[in-house]
Amino acid sequence: MKRIILLICLLMLVFGGLFAEGQKEVTFPNKPVTIVCPWSAGGGTDRTARFIADLLSAELGQPVQVVNKTGGAGAVGHNAAATAAPDGYTLGNLTFEVNTLKYLGYSDITPADFKSVLQFNQDAAAVTVSADSPYNTVKELLEAVKKEPAGTFVFSGSGIGTVWDLARIAMLDKYGIDPNRVKYVPSQGAAPAITELLGNHVDVITCSYPEVAPQVEAGKLKTLAVMADERNPQFADIPTLKEQGIDWSYGTWRGFAVPDDTPDDVLKVLQDAMKKVVESKEYIDFMNSNGFGIEIRIGAEFDSYMMEQFAGLADIFELAGYGN
Amino acid sequence: MDAFLSVFNISVLVPWLLAMVLGIFVGGIPGLTATMAVALIVPLTYHMAPIAGLAMIIGVSFTSIFAGDIPATFLRVPGTPASGAAVLDGYEMNKQGLGSLAISLDLVCSSIGGVIGILILIFISPVLAGFALKFTHFEYFWLGVMGLSMSAVISKGSKTKGVISMVLGVLVSTIGIDIATGYPRFAFKNAELMGGISFIPVMIGLFGISEVFRSLQNLENLSESAVGIRISTSFKAVWKLVIKHFRLILQSSILGNLIGALPGAGADIAAWVAYGAAKRTSKNSDKFGKGCVEGVIAPTSANNAALGGTWIPALVFGIPGDTITSIVLGAMLMYGLKPGPLIFEGERFLINQIFSVGIISQFFLLFIGYLGIKAYTQIFKFPRNVVYAGIILFSIVGSYAIRNSVFDVGVVLVFGLLGFGMEKVDIPLPPMILGLILGPMIEENLRVGLIKTDGSFLPFLSRPISFVMFMIVVVMFFWDPIKKIIMQRKKAGKGGTNNE
Repeated sequence: MKRIILLICLLMLVFGGLFAEGQKEVTFPNKPVTIVCPWSAGGGTDRTARFIADLLSAELGQPVQVVNKTGGAGAVGHNAAATAAPDGYTLGNLTFEVNTLKYLGYSDITPADFKSVLQFNQDAAAVTVSADSPYNTVKELLEAVKKEPAGTFVFSGSGIGTVWDLARIAMLDKYGIDPNRVKYVPSQGAAPAITELLGNHVDVITCSYPEVAPQVEAGKLKTLAVMADERNPQFADIPTLKEQGIDWSYGTWRGFAVPDDTPDDVLKVLQDAMKKVVESKEYIDFMNSNGFGIEIRIGAEFDSYMMEQFAGLADIFELAGYGN
Repeated sequence: MDAFLSVFNISVLVPWLLAMVLGIFVGGIPGLTATMAVALIVPLTYHMAPIAGLAMIIGVSFTSIFAGDIPATFLRVPGTPASGAAVLDGYEMNKQGLGSLAISLDLVCSSIGGVIGILILIFISPVLAGFALKFTHFEYFWLGVMGLSMSAVISKGSKTKGVISMVLGVLVSTIGIDIATGYPRFAFKNAELMGGISFIPVMIGLFGISEVFRSLQNLENLSESAVGIRISTSFKAVWKLVIKHFRLILQSSILGNLIGALPGAGADIAAWVAYGAAKRTSKNSDKFGKGCVEGVIAPTSANNAALGGTWIPALVFGIPGDTITSIVLGAMLMYGLKPGPLIFEGERFLINQIFSVGIISQFFLLFIGYLGIKAYTQIFKFPRNVVYAGIILFSIVGSYAIRNSVFDVGVVLVFGLLGFGMEKVDIPLPPMILGLILGPMIEENLRVGLIKTDGSFLPFLSRPISFVMFMIVVVMFFWDPIKKIIMQRKKAGKGGTNNE
C-alpha cells in the first residue's frame, strides 16, 4: 500500500514538474512577480509601490510582492534591480536617484542599464521659506542672496547630491548666482529639513510642495514657487519659477523598469498591465489623496527622458563640485 | 468622554487587539522591529476608519517594544533596537534565576511608562513640541556626547576596555555615505557597504549569537531546558518593587518621553540614557549590570514612555518624532486626514480618540504582554540545543528581513564572533552598541553644525540650551572624582547599603 502511494506521489511530482515547464513557454507570468523598492518600508516610494503591487497583481493574475532593498542613497536597491535575472519577474521601482549614482561614485548603474516599463509619478521641487520671511517671490529672495555677503543665506532640503539639492544648485546658477554663495545644510530627507525651517535654523528649503503643504496651510511656512512647467491644478495658487522669470523646472519622479536584457514580449505584458493600473480610478484617487503628482511616460519616452536628465546632470554636478 | 467611549467599538477593538498580539510576535523575534510591524500593518488599514487604523499602529508599537525585552531578558537577544539596554540587568537577573521576576517587572514598568508618556503627550505636548523645535545640530551634538559618556557608566570593569569597545563602535559607524559631503567612506565600491553597517544586525550578533557561541564551548547541559526555572510570577513581589522604585519609574519615564519628543532621537537612545541616569542617581550604582532591579526598571519604563514622546512633534507640528510616526503621518493622508499644525483644531475628536487609545493600550498591554510571556516561556522550556538553534535561525531570518540583504546576515555572524572574542578578553559589549548608535549622531551634528557656522565652535557653547547641556556633560565628567573625595572624607561614617 505504502509503495503505491509513494509511486503516485512520485508520478505527480514528475508530471507536475513537466506541466509547469510546459506552461512557462506559453504564458508570462506564471509565478509571483517581485518589485524591488530602493527605499524603506512606510516611505512615499514604498507606499506607492505597495498600492500599485495590489492593482498589478489583479491585472497579471499572479501575486506581486514588494521587497525593500535599502541603503547607500538608493544604490543598493537600484543595483539589485539592474542585476536581477532579466526574465520580467523582478521589476525595479526606479526613482530620480538612479541618475545620480554614477556621478556620486556610489555605483556604476545608470538608466542605460534598464529597459523602461513606465513612469507613473513626478513631483516638482518647490522653494519654501518661513511665513514671516520678508521675501514673497523667488526673485526677491535671489536678489537678496546676490546682494548680501556670501554665506548669509542657509539652504536645506535633503542630503548632498539628492534631487532637492541639485534643483537648488541649478536654480541659483540659472539666476547667475554661484551656488557656493549660500550655505547648504545637508539633512536626511525633507522631514528634518522642514523641522529645521520651522525652528528658524535655516532660511530656505527646497523639496516637493506636498511635503510642506500642511505647514503652509497652517500659516507657518510659505511656498514661493514650484519648479514646474505649469501650475499644478491641485495647488493652483502657487506660481511656477518660469512665471517669476527663471527658466528652470526640476523634480523627482518614480517609475518601473526591468534589466536591459529582458525580452520584449515579456516587457510588453508588464507594460500593458501597468498601463491599465495607472489609468484606473483607484490609482488616480490614491495619488491625489497622498498629494503625489501623476505623470505617465511609457517605454521609450521614459527611457529618453531619463537619459536626457542623466546627461544634463553632468553640468550640475560640475557646478556643485560633488563626486569625482 | 465621548471620544473615550467611542473606541470601545467592535470595529476598532478587534483590529486593535489583533495588532497588539501581532506586536508580541514581531517584537519577540530579533530583527523584526516595531517600525517594520507598523509598515506592514498600514496597507491593511487603508479601508478602515482612521481611528481603527491608528489604534492598530499604536497597539502594535507598544506591544512590540515590550516584547523585544522578552528574548533580551531570557536569551540576551534584544528583540528590537529599543531593548538593547534591557539586556544588561534583565539577562543578569535571569542568570540568577530571577528571569520571571525581571520580565514581569519589565511588563508593569512598560505599562506605567507608557501611561506617563501618554499623559505628558495629552497635557503638555504643545509646550514640549515648541521646546523640541529649538533643538538643532548644536544641541543634538551635546545630546550625543551625553549619551556616549554613558558608555563609561554602563561598562563593567575596566574603563579603558569600555573606551576601546566604544571606539570600535564609532569606527564601524563611519562606514557608508558621509552625510556632510555625500562621499562614500570605506565602501570600496560595494553597494552594501555603501549603505553602512546597520546596528540591528550588529546588536543581534554581539549579544545573541556570541552567547550561543559561548554555550557551544562547553557542550554540557544541552538537553536541559534553556530557562531552567519555572516561570511563575508573584505579582505581589512586582507590585512591592514598583511602589518602592516609583520615583525611578517616574524619572525614567519623563526622561524617556523628553528624548522621544526630540525629532532626532527615539526609544533606543531613551532607554540607554535612562539607564545611565538611573545608575548615576542610584544609591546602589555598583550593583548595576549585575542584575539589579533598578537596571531593569529604568530602560523599560523609558522606552515605552518615549513612544508617547514621539507623537508629540507628530501631532503638534506634523513632523515625525521617529520612524514609526513618520509612517503614521503618511498613513494619515490615506485616511483623508491632514497631519500638521491644524489637526489639533480641525480633528479634536480624533485627537481625543488617539489619546484614549494610547492610555487604554497600556492596560491591554498588561494583559496581552502577560500572555506573551507565558507563550514565549513555553518555547524556552525546550532543551538548550533546540532553543539555541532557534536563536540562530531567527537571528538570520530577522537580520535578512531588515533590508532583505544577505549582507546583513554576514554582519550578524561576524559580530557574533567579534562579541564572543571581546567577552573572552573582558571587553564589555554595550559601549560598542552605544558608539555605533551615537557616533553618527555626534559626527553628523558636529560637522553639519560647523557648516552652518563657517567653522566656528561658538554656537555649540553660546546657545542657551547647548550651554546647559555642555555644563551637564562637564558636571558628569567631574562628578565621580568629586564623589570619591567626598566619600573618602565620609569614610569615618558607616555606609549602609540597601539590599533588594
